[in-house]
Amino acid sequence: MTCAELRRELPELLEGDPSAKLQAHLVGCGACSELVRNLETIIREARSLQACEEPSPRVWNSIEIALRQEGLIRQPEPKGRAAFVPSLARRWGVAAWLVPSAALVLVGAFLIVGRQPRVEQLPGAESRARVQVTSRVDVTDQQLLEQLALDAPLMKAAYEKELNNVNEYIRDAQNLVDENPNDEGARQSLMDAYGQKAVIYQLALDRSLP
Amino acid sequence: MQRGQALMLTLAILVMVAAAAAENRKEYRFTVGPGCTVSITNQYGSIQVRPSGANLVVVSATVYSDKVEVDQNQSGNRVDLESHLLRGATPENARVDYEVLVPSDAAVTLRSTSGPLRAEKLQGDLDLESASAIVEVRDLSNGHLRVKTLNGPVTLTNVHDGFVDVDSVSGEVRLISVTGRLVKVTSTTGAILYDGDFGYTGNYQLSSHSGDIEATIPQDTSAEVQMQSVRGHLEDDVHLAPKAHTSMTQKAGSSFVGTINKAASLVSLKTFSGKIHLKKR
Repeated sequence: MTCAELRRELPELLEGDPSAKLQAHLVGCGACSELVRNLETIIREARSLQACEEPSPRVWNSIEIALRQEGLIRQPEPKGRAAFVPSLARRWGVAAWLVPSAALVLVGAFLIVGRQPRVEQLPGAESRARVQVTSRVDVTDQQLLEQLALDAPLMKAAYEKELNNVNEYIRDAQNLVDENPNDEGARQSLMDAYGQKAVIYQLALDRSLP
Repeated sequence: MQRGQALMLTLAILVMVAAAAAENRKEYRFTVGPGCTVSITNQYGSIQVRPSGANLVVVSATVYSDKVEVDQNQSGNRVDLESHLLRGATPENARVDYEVLVPSDAAVTLRSTSGPLRAEKLQGDLDLESASAIVEVRDLSNGHLRVKTLNGPVTLTNVHDGFVDVDSVSGEVRLISVTGRLVKVTSTTGAILYDGDFGYTGNYQLSSHSGDIEATIPQDTSAEVQMQSVRGHLEDDVHLAPKAHTSMTQKAGSSFVGTINKAASLVSLKTFSGKIHLKKR
């Protein structure tokens, strides 16, 4: 039996049911026998602990010794040798640097692509995108109208009518921009259309006006 | 018959007395310094603002029921008044009418649902906001005039030497003798009517989605006029001199750039489906 195999059978040993092989290993292995002694001390002392009592320092020492022998805690690193990714490096070696390196590469790629001019999209894709934007706008309009129905029911019909008119203005202006992307006047018209919508929202949401 | 007439007269007098009793006129006075700000929020009822001729803000508020009260506050050079609606308030019984006198350089903000809103003879900034109120502004100079309305009609008369910015979603906007460094009127379905000479400098942008735009100008107007209607049409009774070199694409019947006299001001008349009509006074 090896030391690693003994550690796997420790629960049986501590429950008082050790195998013959395990007992034979303990006779021949000083490290494992000391580990078992420490663990037995911890178990014994733990049973004698009262609920409000602080464990004695000997208990903590035993725990620390056992943990060190298991490799679960290490001596603190000397100054000047702090690793950037200490636990990863110890566990994965060189491969530990792959993850942060990959992350840096991905971030760099995102920044580079983001700076490039917009690639021409397929007409279908643009239409789908515009439909999605229109859908989001419609949902927001609906929320506004629902709020108006509660706060100012007499005005809801008027606001709904104006929202429909302004949405038509936005659609027409957007079409104009799509047809003439270099036309500054068309872009100004689109901004004006959205400005009108902003006015409607401002008037509707102004809490001082019903 | 005489008894019937007497009874009617008595009833009429009783109604008038009852109405007068329901009204409650309150007056507030605030001493302010130069450059003060005055803000009035009044859901139902009129607000009228005129200059006081002194460093005084004088407010006369006529309250028509006990369902509304006037909250007033002065913090230094800032005066705020608000019609505070109480439980049971309705558009009919929550009405308050304000008559306000302010220093001529005061910055004034008026907000109302039903209005009307009226201001005259002021030189400070003026900010008017309303859902459906009639807005009438006259004899303003030097300040920044900002109007936002949902469907109330807007009339600006004799406004000069400042900035004018009007957003009216569906209300008609009428400008009579209005000039400034920047005059911008935007509407979705409302008509825009301009009667004046566009000054001798400045940038005028009148645009509507489906409302008509009509500009009536005298013969001595000096302006470059850009007219564009995507689906509507243009009418030019002034016979502008065509401008050859322009960034705007010109298309017969729907877009045109021309000048009159020395083209001192820049005028842009733009609509998507409305009609643009340039008329001679």
